[in-house]
Amino acid sequence: MASILQQLLTPLFSGEVEPPRNKVTVVGVGQVGMACAVSILLRELADELALVDVMEDKLKGEMMDLQHGSLFLKTPTIRADKDYSVTANSRIVVVTAGARQQEGESRLNLVQRNVNIFKHIIPQIVKHSPNCIIIVVSNPVDILTYVAWKLSGLPKHRIIGSGTNLDSARFRFLMADKLGLHPSSFNGWILGEHGDTSVPVWSGTNVAGVNLQTLNPDIGTDLDTENWKETHKMVVDSAYEVIKLKGYTNWAIGLSVADLTESLMRNMNRIHPVSCMVQGMHGIEDEVYLSLPCVLNSNGVASVVNMTLNEDEVSQLQESAATLWGIQKELKDV
Amino acid sequence: MLGFIQLIWPWVSPSSLTAPRASPPEAPRSAIEDAIPGAHIVGIPVAPFPALNLQMATKDKLITHVMKEEPIGCRSKVTVVGVGMVGMASAVSVLLKDLCDELALVDVMEDKLKGEAMDLQHGSLFLKTHKIVADKDYSCTANSKVVVITAGARQNEGESRLNLVQRNVNIFKFIIPNIVKYSPNAILLVVSNPVDILTYVAWKLSGFPRHRVIGSGTNLDSARFRHIMGEKLNLHPSSCHGWIVGEHGDSSVPVWSGVNVAGVSLQALNPKMGADDDSENWKAVHKMVVDGAYEVIRLKGYTSWAIGMSVADLVESILKNLHKVHPVSTLVQGMHGVKDEVFLSVPCVLGNSGLTDVIHMTLKPSEEQQLLKSAETMWGVQKELEL
Repeated sequence: MASILQQLLTPLFSGEVEPPRNKVTVVGVGQVGMACAVSILLRELADELALVDVMEDKLKGEMMDLQHGSLFLKTPTIRADKDYSVTANSRIVVVTAGARQQEGESRLNLVQRNVNIFKHIIPQIVKHSPNCIIIVVSNPVDILTYVAWKLSGLPKHRIIGSGTNLDSARFRFLMADKLGLHPSSFNGWILGEHGDTSVPVWSGTNVAGVNLQTLNPDIGTDLDTENWKETHKMVVDSAYEVIKLKGYTNWAIGLSVADLTESLMRNMNRIHPVSCMVQGMHGIEDEVYLSLPCVLNSNGVASVVNMTLNEDEVSQLQESAATLWGIQKELKDV
Repeated sequence: MLGFIQLIWPWVSPSSLTAPRASPPEAPRSAIEDAIPGAHIVGIPVAPFPALNLQMATKDKLITHVMKEEPIGCRSKVTVVGVGMVGMASAVSVLLKDLCDELALVDVMEDKLKGEAMDLQHGSLFLKTHKIVADKDYSCTANSKVVVITAGARQNEGESRLNLVQRNVNIFKFIIPNIVKYSPNAILLVVSNPVDILTYVAWKLSGFPRHRVIGSGTNLDSARFRHIMGEKLNLHPSSCHGWIVGEHGDSSVPVWSGVNVAGVSLQALNPKMGADDDSENWKAVHKMVVDGAYEVIRLKGYTSWAIGMSVADLVESILKNLHKVHPVSTLVQGMHGVKDEVFLSVPCVLGNSGLTDVIHMTLKPSEEQQLLKSAETMWGVQKELEL
């Protein structure tokens, strides 16, 4: 007797299965990786999702849990494997793998641990998806984006670090909250290092085009009686605070990565503060990655916005660059 | 001559032609009024914008509040009780589907609760839910339209759902009255396991009418079934129709007679479907559904994503008043021969009043037997509970 499938369907076309057009791979199925995966799935950005990790049971469990929700999703193919061949033909690869910050540990301490992990990951990604765009999320993100760039051999516009996209989102949330507004109505940029020395560009902060520094010339300085500088401090401390309370952060970074993925996947030419190769800009001589406002489209970083920064902001960027270069030149096998 | 002019324009007194019209008091004269003599602008009086005053806060220089009344507040608030893996997956799924204008989180673990709330708030830029609140105190849950209850102990590896019962009843005795106090008109969606029994418990403890107490039930089992069916037929799960009813757990009932694609009954194509001698072994599909949760728990320690999405699916039907049919747990006393006050999953219509209607399935005698047996097992456990 013919099977149900044979009785039910009359095939009109039995050729090769079409390769995916909008495939996303997430490397690392820890809390951050899974938050990125779920945000991308629920935003309907991919037609195929691949997960990779070294922990096989965890990997399979996470894949099954997502697949069990496929009725509610618009991503028909969800695969996972330890073997990177499952990642083939990805348009975007999100790298979250690596050790995470312990309570009180700074991002820079994680470096060499994560470099060694990247030496295993990056070449395999590129082998199976030579045309992909890589988004590096693992910390310290600016240094690891540099490492990924070096290990991949990809042109610099196709490697992005998630950078200060999240810091800026936190900043906009905190500032908007003080003003009773939605974060999307508050415009403000945090640039530079994703971490303790990020640079809030107070001169650009505005609501409906009304510049806040014009209303309060002391904004962001120690002289400011309203102490707006505290908001930036809260952004820097955010991650440590959340880690102390719940052990890790994941939702905000997951949403932030989905936001970047959307611009890349949909060729939107939107501007995001992400970590890109800034050598030659703002007086920076070394090959470092720092966050600047970048125009993202399906080619990756199409262009970088030339921010008007004041002297103090420029020197902060240069200092970050110097610190990062100091660490990068000590790295082995990059 | 003068007399003639006076006759022709009697309604215009000479004085009105030369004297300026008096402006109404309080309205500031605008530039337009200055430019056109006699012009008068009718408008709503507004307080003049403040001049830049160095003493004033930046916020007040930027923004002028113009509404005199109290703000309306939330209209579609969702509360999630319990910020474990299931609670947070439910919260994130609800947020990413833009379902609510306010989200409240409650738990007893204060640091974890605060950390989770902060992490979600930090993502506000990317969301359309402006207010995310969290507190140990249930006052933060006030005026919720839907309350999702995920709190309670979870199954350990190999542990059946029925074993969790009394542990979770005690937790509910604290939670339910608190929810009711602050959201007396809410719809309760119970997820904690064993969900059918705990939905009964929530119903008893809340005093709510039965249409406002819903168990997530076999919504997830059916989703798993449709996923596996989709893989077998190379179709999207939404085009594969199949209903799993009854107990959310080991004795759930796959209604083979209803399984169809585009209205074509699969059992009509393969009469042995679901039986032991079925060469295509469709019965294994149901077994994979039952084993599904245990398998995922064994591999990653817990399940979260699928149940979270399933919860958001139900919340969507409720908040958007969709009148969509879902297999969820409701009071089935009087249906299919069930005599006791038990909750089991059957296809129900969900809308903004809650669970308003039940679809009457035509079940085979063997299927009804299975439902009855579940009902008996459940009643056996329920009557021993201290409520």
